[in-house]
Amino acid sequence: MIYLDNAATTLQKPPEVAAAVYRAVNTCATPGRGSHAAAMRAAETVYSCREEAAALFHVPAPEQVAFTMNATHGLNIAIHSLVTPGGRVVVSGYEHNAVMRPLYALGARVDVAASPLFQPHAALEAFRARIPGAQAVICTHASNVYGFILPIKEIAALCRQEGVPLIVDAAQSAGVLDLDFAALGAAFIAMPGHKGLLGPQGTGLLLCREGAEPILFGGTGSMSASRAMPDFLPDRLEAGTVNVYGIAGLEQGLRYLRRTGLRSVREREGDGMAHLAAGLRPLPGLRLLEGPPGTQTGVLSVVTETMNCEEAAEALGGAGVAVRAGLHCAPLAHETGGTLDTGTVRLSLGPFNTEGEMRRVCGVFENILKNGYKL
Amino acid sequence: MSALILFRSLTYAQRASRILERAGTTAAITKAPQGTSRQGCTYCIRLPAARLPRVLQILETNGIQHGRVLMAEMDGSWREVQP
Repeated sequence: MIYLDNAATTLQKPPEVAAAVYRAVNTCATPGRGSHAAAMRAAETVYSCREEAAALFHVPAPEQVAFTMNATHGLNIAIHSLVTPGGRVVVSGYEHNAVMRPLYALGARVDVAASPLFQPHAALEAFRARIPGAQAVICTHASNVYGFILPIKEIAALCRQEGVPLIVDAAQSAGVLDLDFAALGAAFIAMPGHKGLLGPQGTGLLLCREGAEPILFGGTGSMSASRAMPDFLPDRLEAGTVNVYGIAGLEQGLRYLRRTGLRSVREREGDGMAHLAAGLRPLPGLRLLEGPPGTQTGVLSVVTETMNCEEAAEALGGAGVAVRAGLHCAPLAHETGGTLDTGTVRLSLGPFNTEGEMRRVCGVFENILKNGYKL
Repeated sequence: MSALILFRSLTYAQRASRILERAGTTAAITKAPQGTSRQGCTYCIRLPAARLPRVLQILETNGIQHGRVLMAEMDGSWREVQP
């Protein structure tokens, strides 16, 4: 199988990730509750992972790294911490349902800073016009549909200037693009552990400042005589036993990235994208949604003009190429990008894809477009 | 004789322990004895009392906040030496 669904989950991980999960399953108990060897081993694993994450994302203190189940969980915490019913929240035109649904459920007034695809300057101007007076700004760092990289540093600067808290959805950028929590001054950055960070599913990170409000209440192993959740991080956001096994794997993913360097990941994905786009561009019946250099991650959406996108994805899957089709849980992004009616076939690269794989994918796609969808 | 430095949670005790390690000294993390914290369960670092002044100085230099500081008594109880 050629795996090009890395925007959903990276399937190929460094081998030490699975080894760490296996080791943790066999040696780690609950952290932060007991003081026996298995509990302290778990505690050490969890803290080491916090330290790794803090180092990679320039978080001032490890306790500002809270573990979540995934990016959606972290975004829900961030949104519930900052947004109140009726509050005006500015979002990009490329947000995922992980942002939009919590906002609608809360009754927030959503103010979309819509801008054309792959035009960072236009995106920045759309934000500039809307940020003053907003209760919060929420922006994806990179679109999960098109890979469009939003100008997050500049948007963060506008937020700091206007005193408006910023939530960054780093679901598609963590582990690929540079993210500096301290320099951005964001209130929260949410990310999954199982995508670019190369960890197991069921893990996520929320980088926080003070003021985070829990959405889950329960035991933390600290301040246990109190009826209220602790008022300090990370305990305030971590009720119940955290996913130690997953965190053990995530730590190894983070270590791999720190050792390899994000630049190397970007270069590998960029080379793969260049080969993939060059091979797909001449194919009739295929429209590539491509941006100028520097505006796109390793995510390429294509519109199959002669086929339904789901059927194209199924045919690709049948030929051993794993991709995703449809709206990718981001109808707002499709509305902005003009693909709401058709959906797209999304080919998303990871750090372990090869040039040879890209050539084979182009050949498979060409055959499918020629021969159509066959059950 | 032992001394305890309490922290508000395990994470903060771990952070303190890491900083002490980097400064060339070690201190074991353990659960705080029941009744030593005013707010229920928490964690502490346990160390020989003779090293207490140096350890407190390292924590202060590195801006690490801590809770109660306790010294072991002959009868097994704990006496607070610093609020």
